[in-house]
Amino acid sequence: MDAEAAKVIGAGIAMGVGAIGPGIGLGMLISKALESIARQPEVTNDIRTNMFIGIGVTEAVALYAFVIALILVFVA
Amino acid sequence: MSAPEPQAVPTEAPPSSSSAAGQRLPTEVVPGPGRRRGGCLLWVLGLLAVMVGLAFIPGGEKASFHVDEEFVLEPLLELPPLGPIDLSINKAVIYLWISVAIIVVLAIVISRTIKAMPGRFQVVVESLYDLARDGITGSVMHVGAARWFPFIGALFFFILINNLVGLIPLPFGHHHELSFYVATANINVTIGLAACTFVFTHYAGIRARGGLAYVKSWAPADAPPVLKQLIWGIHGISEVFRLVSLSVRLFANMLAGHAILGVFFAMALVFQNYLAAAMLQAGSVAIYLFEIFIAFIQAFIFAILSAVYIGGALEEGH
Repeated sequence: MDAEAAKVIGAGIAMGVGAIGPGIGLGMLISKALESIARQPEVTNDIRTNMFIGIGVTEAVALYAFVIALILVFVA
Repeated sequence: MSAPEPQAVPTEAPPSSSSAAGQRLPTEVVPGPGRRRGGCLLWVLGLLAVMVGLAFIPGGEKASFHVDEEFVLEPLLELPPLGPIDLSINKAVIYLWISVAIIVVLAIVISRTIKAMPGRFQVVVESLYDLARDGITGSVMHVGAARWFPFIGALFFFILINNLVGLIPLPFGHHHELSFYVATANINVTIGLAACTFVFTHYAGIRARGGLAYVKSWAPADAPPVLKQLIWGIHGISEVFRLVSLSVRLFANMLAGHAILGVFFAMALVFQNYLAAAMLQAGSVAIYLFEIFIAFIQAFIFAILSAVYIGGALEEGH
């Protein structure tokens, strides 16, 4: 296997495996937020704000994987 | 006995025709789904026929597309470098200028034409302002919200307008052809913005409590000495990592979005097939709409996390 192929395979694995955790996390986060909104509709705005903060922090993990994949393909 | 029956019928409407009330409704219940299903089937068949027809049309000329070249910054106007700093004008600089011009013109126009009975445009701007003031700054910061709103609001509007300008195709491509680019898909821009938040966080903390007291407040005062140093070190690392995560989040989101957008728009040219072109264009429209949503969400998250960080530094003993 030459180095170019290894880079591309590594980038694919980095992005694919790196997206598993944040995907599960985002699903749990949003399902809990929707549950609590359904339970207490009067605090919808507070919950939504905090949900977006959580989404931002969680999806950053997937984006680190994306940056690693980019570095593997274009820089390394 | 006759009273509850008409209420029970609509839930079991289509097959039942034996009861008296079931005969009352057939004209509006039974043919409805059948006719709709037939229409649906017709649409699907028509779409399939069109797709098969498209698949047999020979494709146009083959064009190659490299998505990474869309993000290469070639200088459009060479300027003499100032020491190690390259001052030449490239398309990221032009995109920043465009969004700054839009913000300035928008602010001047809206402040000159402000009315008690708002028009549609003023309602949009006012609701965005409300979101920045009450939704972002007011809901997160408990002290100093009024003082720090100008900074947080400026961050929100700057990133929002930048992200939205990036969704308009502008003629700064390879041979001045229309192409997508966004200034926030450049790590230098986002690191600059995150560095503003980083500096202002510590400025706010030191201003509120004095330098030594602020640095001491990173660890709880009643912890044992060794644990205190450990917590202090972890907090210091997390402060630096906030800078990285804040900048990389915005950068990677916009870069990934524009890379996908570019791939979808350009793949139709590469595939040489009208069927693939039609499907990919439909997909690219969907992704374009999603990118408008992402532009809002990313501006919102950047601003609200900045407010959280500054608010945390202002508050006592967090």
